[in-house]
Amino acid sequence: MADKQQQVVVKRARHKSSVKDPGTPGVLKMTKDRFTFMANDPSSPVKLNVEFRTIKGHKFTKDGTKQALLNLTQDQGGNYIFEFENFPDRNVCKDFVASAIALSGEAGRTVPEKSAVPIQDEQLSAAEMERRIKLLQEDSDLQKLHKQFVIGGILSEAEFWATRKKLLEQNYSRRPKQRVALKNDMWSTKPLADGQSNRVTFNLTPEIILQIFAEKPAVRQAYLNFVPNKMTEKEFWTKYSRAEYLHSTKNVIAAAAEAAEDEELAVFLKQDDMLVNEARKKIRQVDPTLDMEADEGDDYMHLPIQDHGLPRNDNKDVLDSQYEPYRRSFSQHLNQHAAVVLQGRVIDVELGDTRSVAEALARTKHAELAKDASDVYLDKERLERISRMTEIEDLQAPRDPAVAPLSIKDPRDYFDSQQANAFSTLGDTVSGAKQLKCSVSTREAYCSLKECISEIKFQGLTEPTINSEVAFKVLNGLAQNISSNKYHLGRNPNESILDSLPKITREELLLHWSSIQELLKHFWSSYPITTKYLLTKATKLKDAMSQIYPKLQEIKESVQSDLRHQVSLLVQPMLQSSVFMDQAFCCRL
Amino acid sequence: MKFQIEDVTVYFPYDNIYPEQYAYMVELKRALDAKGHCLLEMPTGTGKTIALLSLITSYALSKPSNPIKFIYCTRTVHEMEKTLSELKLLHNYQLQHLGPAAKILALGLSSRKNLCINPTVVSAENRDSVDAACRKLTASWVRELAAENPRIPTCSFFENYEKSASEAILPPGVYTLQDLRAYGKLKGWCPYFLARHMVQLANVVVYSYQYLLDPKVAGIISKEMQRESVVVFDEAHNIDNVCIEALSVSVRMQTLEGATRNINRMSQEIDRFKATDAGRLRAEYNRLVEGLALRGDLPASDAWLANPALPNDILKEAVPGNIRRAEHFLSVLRRLVQYIRGRLQTENVEKEGPVAFVASVNTQAGIDQKMLRFCYDRLHSLMLTLEISDTDEFLHIQTICDFATLVGTYTRGFSIIIEPFDERMPHIPDPVLQLCCHDASLAIKPVFERFQSVVITSGTLSPIDLYPRLLNFNPVVSRSFTMSLTRDCICPMVLTRGSDQLPVSTKYDLRSDPGVEKNYGKLLLEMVSVVPDGIVCFFVSYSYMDGIVNSWHETGLLKEIMQHKLVFIETQDVVETTLALDNYRKACDCGRGAVFFSVARGKVAEGIDFDRHYGRLVIMFGVPFQYTLSRILLARLEYLRDTFQIKEGDFLTFDALRQAAQCVGRVIRSKADYGMMIFADKRYSRHDKRSKLPGWILSHLRDAHLNLSTDMAAHIAREGIKEEGSQMIIKVAVLDLSIACDST
Repeated sequence: MADKQQQVVVKRARHKSSVKDPGTPGVLKMTKDRFTFMANDPSSPVKLNVEFRTIKGHKFTKDGTKQALLNLTQDQGGNYIFEFENFPDRNVCKDFVASAIALSGEAGRTVPEKSAVPIQDEQLSAAEMERRIKLLQEDSDLQKLHKQFVIGGILSEAEFWATRKKLLEQNYSRRPKQRVALKNDMWSTKPLADGQSNRVTFNLTPEIILQIFAEKPAVRQAYLNFVPNKMTEKEFWTKYSRAEYLHSTKNVIAAAAEAAEDEELAVFLKQDDMLVNEARKKIRQVDPTLDMEADEGDDYMHLPIQDHGLPRNDNKDVLDSQYEPYRRSFSQHLNQHAAVVLQGRVIDVELGDTRSVAEALARTKHAELAKDASDVYLDKERLERISRMTEIEDLQAPRDPAVAPLSIKDPRDYFDSQQANAFSTLGDTVSGAKQLKCSVSTREAYCSLKECISEIKFQGLTEPTINSEVAFKVLNGLAQNISSNKYHLGRNPNESILDSLPKITREELLLHWSSIQELLKHFWSSYPITTKYLLTKATKLKDAMSQIYPKLQEIKESVQSDLRHQVSLLVQPMLQSSVFMDQAFCCRL
Repeated sequence: MKFQIEDVTVYFPYDNIYPEQYAYMVELKRALDAKGHCLLEMPTGTGKTIALLSLITSYALSKPSNPIKFIYCTRTVHEMEKTLSELKLLHNYQLQHLGPAAKILALGLSSRKNLCINPTVVSAENRDSVDAACRKLTASWVRELAAENPRIPTCSFFENYEKSASEAILPPGVYTLQDLRAYGKLKGWCPYFLARHMVQLANVVVYSYQYLLDPKVAGIISKEMQRESVVVFDEAHNIDNVCIEALSVSVRMQTLEGATRNINRMSQEIDRFKATDAGRLRAEYNRLVEGLALRGDLPASDAWLANPALPNDILKEAVPGNIRRAEHFLSVLRRLVQYIRGRLQTENVEKEGPVAFVASVNTQAGIDQKMLRFCYDRLHSLMLTLEISDTDEFLHIQTICDFATLVGTYTRGFSIIIEPFDERMPHIPDPVLQLCCHDASLAIKPVFERFQSVVITSGTLSPIDLYPRLLNFNPVVSRSFTMSLTRDCICPMVLTRGSDQLPVSTKYDLRSDPGVEKNYGKLLLEMVSVVPDGIVCFFVSYSYMDGIVNSWHETGLLKEIMQHKLVFIETQDVVETTLALDNYRKACDCGRGAVFFSVARGKVAEGIDFDRHYGRLVIMFGVPFQYTLSRILLARLEYLRDTFQIKEGDFLTFDALRQAAQCVGRVIRSKADYGMMIFADKRYSRHDKRSKLPGWILSHLRDAHLNLSTDMAAHIAREGIKEEGSQMIIKVAVLDLSIACDST
């Protein structure tokens, strides 16, 4: 691992033509024999690709000075100046350059190992870097923390991001753009009559047209058939609106009469055959424990057209069967609408072009229906679902560890990354003691987790770093007390204590809150302190913590007396946590 | 878990058991020991079905020398599927613990429509056409012809099944309808006939009520079940209605027209046969003279629906001489149809008993009682002789013969009601002649007599002393269990006033009041904004639901409701309703949340569960009384009063409240579940109504929740949901802690 990291170093840096130059931001990548620099802005002319062979030497500014600079001098006399965001970054590059130059000078000599440092800078691809930058840009809170700790030198870049792997991954998988659902709004043809003339106006937007097409496949099909050969788009919609209007008057006979005269209009007025066919196909895929159609097939009592038990208090068919196709119930429309909304936006087409919308919809529908009910996978899934449904949950031991469905925003990320850390450190220290499986299923993981917990319960922690009760109290205090306050901030302002504080104080408090959380995260994650590296890290963290402490006191004293109590209530858990941390640390030492 | 109830080791597939499940099993075991019938009420949400299945199968396993058969009757096919999947779970568990000794054969049985795998047959529209399409391929005369002429189509699945003859058996296991179809496809055997055959051999049979209660179906399917069987009617709160339906017939103008067509067709066929194959008709005549109405050994594929009268009431004697000849029988049928047509022309509602009706048929059409009684069997025989396979076309004449046979057989417990038009639409003529059975005990009597133990069970059987009277039997055990609860998992409320403090009700005078409609809409709107996941609403009838939903749509309330949740609605079209339900579940699964509008006494209320997130709240809009002006209902009430001394009002309230309880009971399936129930009608606050609700609801109905208005109900709902939510959070917190422990 360490060896591999030696191969490539990637850092963010600015390339400068001179020391005074503001420079072009970009990514500096160093490999064994060359370094390249790519500007963030792809149009920028600055682009370097230089072999280390040509580099004669390097200079750098001292740690803690104004700028973190690295100056590579070429043997022809030219030089490359890079400014880094912080010194650790620069130092890594500096070390790498030194060895690279040495290597290129004396070929064959091996690169000295640097495995003494437990956590190396990760090899960062440009994309990774960009992601981090983007995350920082998007989240100002995160940026503040980053500035405070990474640039402040308390944490290294890698350490900072290690706890946020989830965040990075999420972005990495490049979640598909969130799709906007359809509006759950029935396009009830509310005609706008102006009262004076007999004109009735309908408004159609592309959104509405999409909805009509999705809900009424017959209209969609008619559109594809008629427009533009038989009629123009405008005529088509006029006709459609006419049909809708006829329906809204609920005059079935008039509708039938009009349809008899105009066969295109009839398409809209008649019942949607395509829907009926679709329904017949879909019914075969329905969960058999819901299938009421099957009942009907088994119902010998209601032989031909009887309805004995249910009191017949329904509107019977008043009309002759010739009008039957023109009857349309509102409930049918309602169900169809809800089904379409539930399915969501299935097509990804610009809404403006009506024809392409219609075509795309027709295509997806077709593909969907082609997936036959005989799909083995679907069948299996259905069976599984049924057997899951039949079980009585509280009589049964939990079926699957109920871990997956949780999605608590922050604590979750925290615990996940913690676990990863714990494993890696464990792997380092007790390697060989237990073979770690690389790919464990959730079930196995859960079982081992349970085992671990029960082991701990039974034996107690081997090296009690801290009284577990105390640790729990801190965790609780932080996780529930403060976080709940923060999250409630926007929602019900009346109840929040924070809201009653002046804005500056509030901001400050929140900032401290998040920095304390960050520090605590890292602090506890460095437990058990087994290496020197961890020890220095913990010390650093503790120092940083102790700096926050007086600030909190300051805030407490600065607020008005009537609020002081509440503020101290807020601040107390934070203070406590730092005190606990101190204690824990002292114990350790 | 495994435990002992007296001498029986019970295998129960869960690690824990509710105390009431145990108590239920104990009572059930006693009834089985006593070989008697029992009546057990246990609240929904306490795992009644699994307790039943587990005890009875274990009971059978413990007595291998004298195996009992277990017949489980469900209301609907989807309940059948649910039961079978629970049985699967149990069976797997028993196999694990007992090994091969626990092997049983359990299967569900349904109609051809649900079991057929022949693509040309199963694509037919409804059950009758599937049955007919099947007969066209499998009837004995068709197969005879096909043997000579290979161009006549037959069903390969049926042929294969016939060919394998005695080898065609199902290996032990639990078969749902789906499994049966899959097995049939695998082997190339017809699943329907295979299942029909295996029913005789199976240890557990799950099928619909009608296969036992309706003599027409029971006659062909359940004839040979052994006496040593335990019959269970689950969800049996409506069993009296099923029983009376099984023996009721109604005839409309369309029926008569269809019957006339059928008669003409048959007379053509007779002429044709006379010309080509006169011997056949003569053979039939001779057979009838010998006294056999039906050939005893019909192949299964020829069997049609059996006699509509109960087995004990069928005359075991020769068909009367004057209908032995086919032409004579047809002319009798013509006269009967003509007579009924004349009766339907009436201007007034007429009501009479069977005796008077038969007398009047005799004087006016010259058909005596005995001829009427034999109508069905004679028709059946004639149709077989004429080799008619499109039975779906002949349903009309069959209805007429059903009617004739029933009216000729029974003299009490029935009445004939002729209505020239529907009470609510007096201007539209729609004459109907109804033969209605009032006595639920008639249809179920043979079941009680034939089988050693009959178990009637449901979540709502209160008042529990009424059922033995309605069904006329003596249970050895009759008990009502309550739910033991560690927390309040149901929260019933009675809402009497809307947001404007005016009373809400579906009483006749308030029903169409726009104020009430608006108040109901506002209630739902409040609730959709408060309650997560699924909400189910029950209305008193389809027409009321359509009306109120339309009015909500017009006033914009529906639009506001849709801002919060998707809306699905039950319609009279089962396909559409099924799809709507499926989508409703999907919407609840994906967290979108949805509302389902349904009708009390409708198909959904009968058997669809809205447990867990599929139903966090159920609102019962109004009291689901039957349509009290219905003549049939009035006649039944009169009969109940005269025979059982049950007051009309009491029965109506009992009936309405059991429906309401049934509707709201759908939201809960286990104690881990949580559901709120709102009874939205001021009449529920009256003690005489409310007290008819089952005990498990009443025990959770606090006095403070008896007279609420919309805003109070919304407040309670909000609090309830919050409380429930906080319990979830506790669970989450515990889990977090365990992870935290590990990582530090």
